[in-house]
Amino acid sequence: MADVKLMIAGRPYDVHCADGEEAQLLQLAAVVDEKARGIQGGTEVRQLLFAALMLADDAQEAKGKVDKAEPQSDSLRAAVALAESREAAARDELRAAVVREQAALKELEALRAAPSAPSPGKPANDRALLQIADRIEALATKVEQIP
Amino acid sequence: MELDLDESSLAIGRIERALSRIEKALADQPNRLKSSVAVPAADQSALKAEVAAVIGELDRLIAEADRG
Repeated sequence: MADVKLMIAGRPYDVHCADGEEAQLLQLAAVVDEKARGIQGGTEVRQLLFAALMLADDAQEAKGKVDKAEPQSDSLRAAVALAESREAAARDELRAAVVREQAALKELEALRAAPSAPSPGKPANDRALLQIADRIEALATKVEQIP
Repeated sequence: MELDLDESSLAIGRIERALSRIEKALADQPNRLKSSVAVPAADQSALKAEVAAVIGELDRLIAEADRG
């Protein structure tokens, strides 16, 4: 235990506190002292009573502010959680799409590798393949630019 | 524009490289997510629509190739 000498409203007080808490106790005493000194006239008891009432008022006001802010922070937290889950779902969908595209591409390569007579539609298919390459490259750029 | 086999192989190579870029970007994203703003829903929808359209186009090509 530590002994601390406090001075509140001009009167000394000897108070015990846990070791290490001396500085905090002195700081709290300074707050009470400031309130008590702000009250002019009256007895010492009256000064301390008003100081206590003013501090209770401060505490109540601070609690009111916290209570008011809590619902806002709750809805902010909910909005962030929703945005994150949507982001994760979109990423999963995109990953699944990439897997599907890779499978489709493999199938296409297998079909292309299989010996077959050249068909009249081949140039058109090749053009389509080039266009798909353009589009997937553009998609890759967009995905890379996601912040 | 007439394309020969080599050019279509080139197209497939480009597609494979682009898919690898997408995979890498998606793998890197969770690390950046915490410090970033979420992608707007409209952008996500546009991206999904484009992915669906490209897959549809690939499916169509495969179906055509299947028919010979």
